[in-house]
Amino acid sequence: MSAPSRVGHLPSAVETAAADSPDLPFYAAAEKIYPREVHGRFASARRAAVIGLLGLFYGVAWLPWHGHQALLFDLPARKFHIFGLTLWPQDFLYLALLLIIAALSLFFFTALAGRLWCGYACPQTVWSELFIWIEQWTEGSRSRRMKLDRSPWTLEKWLRKGSKQMLWVALAALTGFTFVGYFTPIRTLGGQLLAGAAGGWATFWVGLYGLATYGNAGFLREQVCKYMCPYARFQSAMFDKDTLIISYDVARGEPRGRGGRGGDCVDCTLCVQACPTGIDIRNGLQYECIACAACIDACDAVMDKIGRPRGLIRYTTENALQSRAPRLMRARLLVYLALLAGASGALGLSLLTRTPLILDVLRDRNALYREVEGGERIENAYLLKIVNEDDAPHRYRLSVTGPAGLTLVEPREPISVASGSVATLAARLQAPTSAAAGVHTVEFTLAAIDARSSVRERSRFLGPQP
Amino acid sequence: MNPLGTRLGWILWPSFLAACLASVLFFAAVDPLLLRGAGPQMFAQLSRESGYALGFFFFWAMGALSSLLSLLLRGTS
Repeated sequence: MSAPSRVGHLPSAVETAAADSPDLPFYAAAEKIYPREVHGRFASARRAAVIGLLGLFYGVAWLPWHGHQALLFDLPARKFHIFGLTLWPQDFLYLALLLIIAALSLFFFTALAGRLWCGYACPQTVWSELFIWIEQWTEGSRSRRMKLDRSPWTLEKWLRKGSKQMLWVALAALTGFTFVGYFTPIRTLGGQLLAGAAGGWATFWVGLYGLATYGNAGFLREQVCKYMCPYARFQSAMFDKDTLIISYDVARGEPRGRGGRGGDCVDCTLCVQACPTGIDIRNGLQYECIACAACIDACDAVMDKIGRPRGLIRYTTENALQSRAPRLMRARLLVYLALLAGASGALGLSLLTRTPLILDVLRDRNALYREVEGGERIENAYLLKIVNEDDAPHRYRLSVTGPAGLTLVEPREPISVASGSVATLAARLQAPTSAAAGVHTVEFTLAAIDARSSVRERSRFLGPQP
Repeated sequence: MNPLGTRLGWILWPSFLAACLASVLFFAAVDPLLLRGAGPQMFAQLSRESGYALGFFFFWAMGALSSLLSLLLRGTS
């Protein structure tokens, strides 16, 4: 539960306060934070990220692709549709590789630019931002919200708070519905919910995810980052002295609040008011900081007004702050990059060489072999399982190789298998008795007639003891 | 001692995260319909959806039990 050790050499009021007073309860009662609206480069970047990511989330679920939902992790059917690709439980490797790539990317970007993820892309940030927009829209600016909270319950307060809650609940419900819509077909689910005929579990998960959205984005907000997020606790392990952090330039700013006679900081506290986690960045890097850069925007606007250069609070690195040469490419980054390239290469290669076709061959266990045509020929029987994992139906032709004179008796006709289904059928092979004695290896080849996919599978052909 | 809400958080939250991970890994490899044949009679009519939910809540309960014991054994220091 300690603050990240890496930030220890920067001043941190929070750490000292906790260490000096062991008798105080570990968690102070959370005080409601009223983040001030800011405008600037980074606020615009985050607005773009929020609109883009939420647009993707709410939109992609409705995207059709060749007759099915473009992105559907169909849990009831145990099939993942990712545009043209259909993944089966056998393809777990891809999912594992994808998760590894996601984790490595997070490590890489954290080492390079700090908590980029937290500030711009984390669902917690994105939905909190959206809920705060609604709050600003219904309840007004920071000072008006604080005044409204202190005021008695007038009609205006009821109306403002009520409309905020209605919008929040509606949005949370839509979010829960969309989320579940990625795991069970969303159009069907939507129709069922409207008709009141959705399955119990689907309704339950929609409700639970909606409730989580409402609680996390409406009320918990920064507390999720401070107390609940595991990444916030270990991200400092990826930090080094060349990682981009948001920092207040102490040398330039102090002493603060003295006008022209002191440093550039006019002690307007706008950076504190803008902070969604309620910290004062001037106390140094703190683990609560999600690197949203709201304080940079707030401070830059003030510096513009008083005619001082921007960047009293800025993205910088520890080395740069101490006037040491920054290093962009360092061993840590190169290692992350190499691992990332390796995992991505493995995923790409295995996807390119993937055959959406599986053939299983089981020898008939009832008889070792059968003599046919008056003992002239030996016959073996097999059970074939063909899985067509492709998005389209296909016709396949079966062929075999093995001992001299081996022939495929059944099936002679092309085999049709619908998309995403399994066909089970019997196969019979015959070989001349003279060539069949003992145990032989046979190889079945199943090749699509109307596509390029083909698979091979080995089995055994048994004849009389020599 | 910390207030009840905080203690509940310590028990339920880490176990929730662990249950999510466990469910993904377990059900990626195991079809919940397999429980039909393997388990007691009560699983005979199990649907996939119920299987996933049952698995998730089972993992959550076990994780919560572990967190609860950790909290208990850790003492009041």
